[in-house]
Amino acid sequence: MRSFRAGAFALCLLLSFGLSLSRAADIQIPPSPSRWATDTAGFLSAGALDALDQKLEAYAQQTGHQVIVYIGGTTEGYPIEEFAAKAFEAWKVGRQGLDDGLALFIMAEDRAVRIEVGYGLESIVPDITAGRIINDILIPKVRAGDADGAVSDAVAAILAAISGEAVPIQESKRPGQGSARAPFIIFAVIIFAIIFLTSPSLALWLLVNILGGGSHGSGGGSGSIGRVFPKSGSSGGWRSGSGGGGFRSSGGGGFRGGGGRSGGGGASGRW
Amino acid sequence: MATEGTPAPAGRPKRKLGLGLGCLVVVIIGLLILGTWGVGQYNSLVSLDQKVRSQWAQVENAYQRRADLIPNLVETVKGAADFEKETYTAVAEARSKVGQIRLDENLLNNSEAFAKFQAAQDELGSAISRLLVAVEKYPDLKATQNFRDLQVQLEGTENRITVERQRFNESAQAFNTKRMSFPTVLFAGFFGSRFAEKAYFTAQPGAETAPKVKF
Repeated sequence: MRSFRAGAFALCLLLSFGLSLSRAADIQIPPSPSRWATDTAGFLSAGALDALDQKLEAYAQQTGHQVIVYIGGTTEGYPIEEFAAKAFEAWKVGRQGLDDGLALFIMAEDRAVRIEVGYGLESIVPDITAGRIINDILIPKVRAGDADGAVSDAVAAILAAISGEAVPIQESKRPGQGSARAPFIIFAVIIFAIIFLTSPSLALWLLVNILGGGSHGSGGGSGSIGRVFPKSGSSGGWRSGSGGGGFRSSGGGGFRGGGGRSGGGGASGRW
Repeated sequence: MATEGTPAPAGRPKRKLGLGLGCLVVVIIGLLILGTWGVGQYNSLVSLDQKVRSQWAQVENAYQRRADLIPNLVETVKGAADFEKETYTAVAEARSKVGQIRLDENLLNNSEAFAKFQAAQDELGSAISRLLVAVEKYPDLKATQNFRDLQVQLEGTENRITVERQRFNESAQAFNTKRMSFPTVLFAGFFGSRFAEKAYFTAQPGAETAPKVKF
């Protein structure tokens, strides 16, 4: 009884903590952009934006590295670092397994900029490099009123920093879904057939019970697997189904995340 | 009379045997179903547990990264004339305290040790913050490229810590939710501390005062 009460109490604690956690993660992340350079704030001129988009697409096709630019209005009070980490995670910039993506975020109203570097590029574009690109190239030009030049120069510097480290494009593998249940099912069917032959009424009784209790068992099992998979998928583990990363990032025609991850590496600045 | 009585004693044991066999098969099937269910539960707990552990490794990496920056930081500010000695000795002390904490697997299952680890790391974080505040009084030092680079690295490290800690909490929450929900909670109890509840990082009052670079 006491242990039950303790369990219930712990469960309540857990639930309240879960609620507070999910509330803390309330930051709104826009859906994944479909272009390599996106400007929802009118920060860049149309020509500069298109040029940037084409440049980044060509770069991804040549080297496989996904580099995107996202310019928005405001993060509504959240730190741009948090926005960048969440957006990078949601958009899966970079290739799965290589984590070689990079994203430049600019919040025009907040006057904030962040370079978020995928895990795989952290040694090639260390924080110091990202910080210098922001502080020495981007911010002075933005302050001088040359937004187009600031962003295109910063992107050029980023690409120059990454270059030379291109990795051949890889197809990501998808693990085969478990067929471990099959032998058990066959075995069960055989046993059931034997019972049916020896005692039909018992078999009928069994059937009713298995359908009642058995669906419980398999429901619990497959349900738990279903719950595990999306979790591991979201952090770049196995990914199954059409949402997965088994495609080429160089397919052309806009940006589509390849399953890359980042862990808060990079730098940010304000002007 | 005699011919009517003989078949009955011969037929009953046969039916009894069939019933016994049937019961046995039922029990076997029941055990099999229970076993498969148990295996599913166990495996999903293991996979969630592994996720927590690998995320914990990322948290440790981020903390290690910060600890590795400390000597460089202390060296850089030491060079500035008459810099307040106590600020950087506080950082060095907090750094060595962090180094003394033994990291083992039990940390995740032991909320007391976990809290101790977090407290030591938080103390180091606030010591660094105080040092960076003190540096504000030394514009010459602040302007050097070496210090600016250090500040960027420190900021990046604090940001990594934040990100990895949050992801750790999410993975620990996923594990705990699975472990504490019915009927897994009954099953997980069999394994004792193998599937003990995971501890969380808690936001402390000083969490918001992570070093920030002002431009």
